[in-house]
Amino acid sequence: MPPLLANQSAMAEIGRVGCLDLQYRREGLRTILATSRCSTPWHLFPPAYLDDSGCAFTSLVNPSGGFVAGDHLSIHAALEEGAHVVMSTPSANRVYRSLGEESRQFVTISVAPGALVEWFPEVTIPFAGSRFAQTMAITLAKGATALIWDSLASGRVARGERWAFSSLRNEIHVTTASGARLLERYDVRPEQDSDSLGLLSAYDYVASFFVMSDAIDPERWPAVRDRVSGILGSLGPDLLGGVTEPPVPGLAVKLVARSAEVLGRARELVWEATRGELFGLERPALRQY
Amino acid sequence: MLNTLSLLHGLRFIDSFFPSGGYAYSSGLEAAVQGGAVRTGEQLSHYVEQMFRHGVARREAVAVGIAHESLLRNDVQVALAIDHELHAMKIGHECRVASQQMGRQVVRIAAERPAAHAVLRDFYAAMEADRTPGHFPVVLGITLADAGWDRGETIAAFCYQTAIGFVSAALKLLPMGQREGQHLLERWTPLFDECAKEATAATTMTSWSPVQDIYAMRHSRLESRLFRS
Repeated sequence: MPPLLANQSAMAEIGRVGCLDLQYRREGLRTILATSRCSTPWHLFPPAYLDDSGCAFTSLVNPSGGFVAGDHLSIHAALEEGAHVVMSTPSANRVYRSLGEESRQFVTISVAPGALVEWFPEVTIPFAGSRFAQTMAITLAKGATALIWDSLASGRVARGERWAFSSLRNEIHVTTASGARLLERYDVRPEQDSDSLGLLSAYDYVASFFVMSDAIDPERWPAVRDRVSGILGSLGPDLLGGVTEPPVPGLAVKLVARSAEVLGRARELVWEATRGELFGLERPALRQY
Repeated sequence: MLNTLSLLHGLRFIDSFFPSGGYAYSSGLEAAVQGGAVRTGEQLSHYVEQMFRHGVARREAVAVGIAHESLLRNDVQVALAIDHELHAMKIGHECRVASQQMGRQVVRIAAERPAAHAVLRDFYAAMEADRTPGHFPVVLGITLADAGWDRGETIAAFCYQTAIGFVSAALKLLPMGQREGQHLLERWTPLFDECAKEATAATTMTSWSPVQDIYAMRHSRLESRLFRS
């Protein structure tokens, strides 16, 4: 029988230290979930097939509705050769107030040759006083492709809560087969440092979008870049965005927005443009609340 | 504390007379001016201060300090590792290329000195063999360490030189004169000291200046440009 303290510790972890392991395989024209493992609070639904591309649409469902202090959630996804997966969330990722402990999310995605992962979660909303850390490590084999969208709200904007969280650390680290890397890492603490927002204080949303692949003919990137740049320029004064060539083959987009509507519109349009230009696919209609 | 000879050896590399090519870059300021985010000296000051506090002090200045340490530890691998990480974090194309071009200009002259430290020579050899990108903050950190400057002095000098780049670009982009430029540098001096202290203690690079990053990304699409970034 385990000692009482160890038992208490294990009990305390239930629902707070959750892991989602997903392995995808291409079978015929479809990508299937070959193996999976899930512990609470994650809830695993089988992938949906929303179009005839064979892409496995996976909804990352955390029924607790968000992160509370001390939550340690992880997602490990592996895409075998030729697999195609879209991963999204059914609603915003809420991070609740914490009096001390940080809540953490750790994501690893490995993408085999010829595989394509599209990571499009809904926006992260850090509540006043919340502490959150997210680490994403993405490994791309030769011939693999990844579309990674990551967005952050200033808080519960509708109730006037803006940039009132305690801390938010975020790291997206992409490693390619050639050894080239992309690393976005920030650590924001508006509660400690009211000056930490600077020019960003005029905006309520920040997003990054990375499209990375060594499988795409380099001559095709300028057309995607022009189209995305045109979209960013067409969304009016409530959005400021830029597109560039990152240190890995592909494109990087950074944008700030004044409203959720314009952020959502930008997300739809850049995803649609990228999918259309690179893969001849339409943007999927995700099932969301 | 610097002795006179160390001071003079190091000053050469941060002097605007040094042919680093820094005058050709605005680090996105030109796009910010054309976009209307910076129209006055006061707005410039705010823009640059924010960039220092949340971008330069936490990323490039940290790389300067770690590169400086690599020479003191006689371990070029430390400099190579931070150079690669800085490269991965410099997501904007123009700023990444600018930093590499300036690094190359400095290392060529610094490493050819007969008395150049082995770490500096090995780093240059790695650049020549395309084994490392050779970013300016890393090169300057090694170079000033070799000149005998301490870590805090080296980081402060880097900050000062970066600020001079902004003022120099602003003199061409904004209706402001040399005198106002000097006032800005004076106003920012305590900031450089603060950044140097913060970066000296830091071991991890981060960066949070999304608006400035976006302007740097937008620069290449401006219809008319005075600068290369």
